[in-house]
Amino acid sequence: MADIYTEGWYLEVRDAMNAKVGTMKELPPGDIQVKVEIFGDGVSPYIPDGTERHFLVKIEDGRCAWYREVDGDDPSIKLDYRFRGPARVFDEIAAGLEDPVNAALHGTVKVRGDMRFLMRQAPQVKVLLEAYATGVRTSWPLGRPPYASRTEEAVHA
Amino acid sequence: MRDAYDAIVIGAGHNGLTLGAYLARSGLEVLVLERRHEEGGGLCTEELTLPGFLHNVHANYHTFVDLAPPVHDLDVRGHGVEYVRPEVQMASIYDDGTALTVHTDLDKTCESIARFSEEDAETFRRLYGEAHGYVDLLLATLMYQPPMSVKELTRALATFGVEDRSEFLSVKLRRETINQFLDQHFTHPKVKAHLAFHGAVCAYTNDVPGLAIGFPLLVGKIDNWHLCIGGSHRLAHALWRDLAQHGGVMVSDADVRAILVEGGRAVGVRLADGTEVAARKLVASTVSVEQTFLEFLEPAAIPEELQTRVKNDVKHKDWSLFSVHLALSALPEYSAAEFDPDVNRAWVVNLGYGSLEELSAHFAGVRAGQLPEPKPNAAVNSLYDPTDAPAGYATGLLRQFAPFSIAGGGEGQWESMGHWYGRRCIEAWRRYAPNLTDDVILDWVPYTPLEIAQKLPNMVRGDWMMGEVSLANMLDQRPLPELGQYRTPVEALYMAGSTQHPHGFITFAPAYNALQVIADDLGIEAWWRRV
Repeated sequence: MADIYTEGWYLEVRDAMNAKVGTMKELPPGDIQVKVEIFGDGVSPYIPDGTERHFLVKIEDGRCAWYREVDGDDPSIKLDYRFRGPARVFDEIAAGLEDPVNAALHGTVKVRGDMRFLMRQAPQVKVLLEAYATGVRTSWPLGRPPYASRTEEAVHA
Repeated sequence: MRDAYDAIVIGAGHNGLTLGAYLARSGLEVLVLERRHEEGGGLCTEELTLPGFLHNVHANYHTFVDLAPPVHDLDVRGHGVEYVRPEVQMASIYDDGTALTVHTDLDKTCESIARFSEEDAETFRRLYGEAHGYVDLLLATLMYQPPMSVKELTRALATFGVEDRSEFLSVKLRRETINQFLDQHFTHPKVKAHLAFHGAVCAYTNDVPGLAIGFPLLVGKIDNWHLCIGGSHRLAHALWRDLAQHGGVMVSDADVRAILVEGGRAVGVRLADGTEVAARKLVASTVSVEQTFLEFLEPAAIPEELQTRVKNDVKHKDWSLFSVHLALSALPEYSAAEFDPDVNRAWVVNLGYGSLEELSAHFAGVRAGQLPEPKPNAAVNSLYDPTDAPAGYATGLLRQFAPFSIAGGGEGQWESMGHWYGRRCIEAWRRYAPNLTDDVILDWVPYTPLEIAQKLPNMVRGDWMMGEVSLANMLDQRPLPELGQYRTPVEALYMAGSTQHPHGFITFAPAYNALQVIADDLGIEAWWRRV
């Protein structure tokens, strides 16, 4: 078990994703880089209000190569997708309390990138999201969601 | 105009200019050719009545502002376009003097709906909330990328379990009409009529099977209707300016008569005066399928089967629009303002459709070539654009769903019936706004479906969406399966206008999507794909 948003946790997320996709017959070839941007919403204790934490996920031939925290945008890195949303929602996803598809469908988490690929690879995308949401046993040193002072939809543009 | 360019775009409507501007920004030498005396196509603003009164002859409603990538990518605001989003977007006035108003303020819209049905107001709030949440995701998935098939989309929606996560989205919608959707979710006839009217103005006819699939998306942007200050043509001018600033050239009065093909590849065009211009990399047509494949190309250039299918299988809308443009010395004052004062500030007003049955009956009659008893919609741009008429005066625009070909005499009858029918539309407006007496109406002109087709031949048979809006003619099936990905059987010839997915309206999407395909084919770095 690793603390949320730590090196150990990223490794566990990666391993959980790969364990899940390992059961799949067909994985799409090629590299995909996904940026996850989580902004503080005054609710999550892990990302203070007014700050952001950014993560980069590299998928190689359908498997997660690495998951790491990065500092803002690096123009030299070609992104394929960007997921952006409030910390409360991402915390709740990581805690298995919020459905990631639901968060994207209802616009709480904004998704940018080639939607055709996501739609055509729906089975694999779904497995990866499930691994993120339910595949890791996470510890929450500053408190576990759902948070008492839950606020409504602090979605930034 | 030089002898050769990298890219030649046929048609300087908003799609042609958009594609041209992107390609010019990508470093290509671009020529955009326009048959008319000015750029814009449907983005056409003219002083049709009196000097100083600006009338949007075709496109009046800009509903994809800030949702369409080109608005940002091509910096249309930086080029002088100013949009206003009217506070009272739309209204329906019913025959009993009641009225429903749609506002940019959701609470006000729900308050208005609640006067008819509190249950419907709550349903609308939930529908809007859900649809507004996913509108950008759906637009990115369904509109601003080359289309997938219905089968692929259905499979993905099933995999993601969207049906279980949504109150309103369902794969069953691909078989249902908007009427059915509204009957399932709403109770009050007037509320349903207003929502169906809103869909119809967007060309999503309420009784066409399959169009329910797009209805939640329409509701998600029901309050995103924008007016282009100074007339819709300002947008065309901005797009032209962007094209020109990046080295592109737009030539008007350039009537393309032929697309030149050598060895199965499009290599240029020939104009009516015999001038030939070479295209080094591509030719893109934004005009009609019929013009492109039956008029511009030699028969030998395309498979015989495609010619036959263009003649027989390309589907056009089965109704058009009859318009009346007016110069007024006063704003309309509706009797229904006693019920809801906000109707006097409503930009677009449905005059009289009070049930789905009325709307469906009108469309059935129109399809049979009948002129309906007018229930026009009235737009008063001057409410929100002080520049479109002299101070103290106003413009008016009446639009009536109407047939292109009138039963018993064909479309030619419009030449003799336009003024008669226009007068009837004005009388219909006056029943709801009694202050619009003859002395208030300084001048007016009808604009018939026949005139649409004459002025803009790409709008075949007055088809202002440049193709039927139905599930069978959407996504990768539009306008024909073999043309559904913007490529054609002729190498280096692309289709990039509203004949293509998604459809007409000021979406920019056909050009934007064709651009993706062209970029892939030519190896152009897609600087616009900002993830």
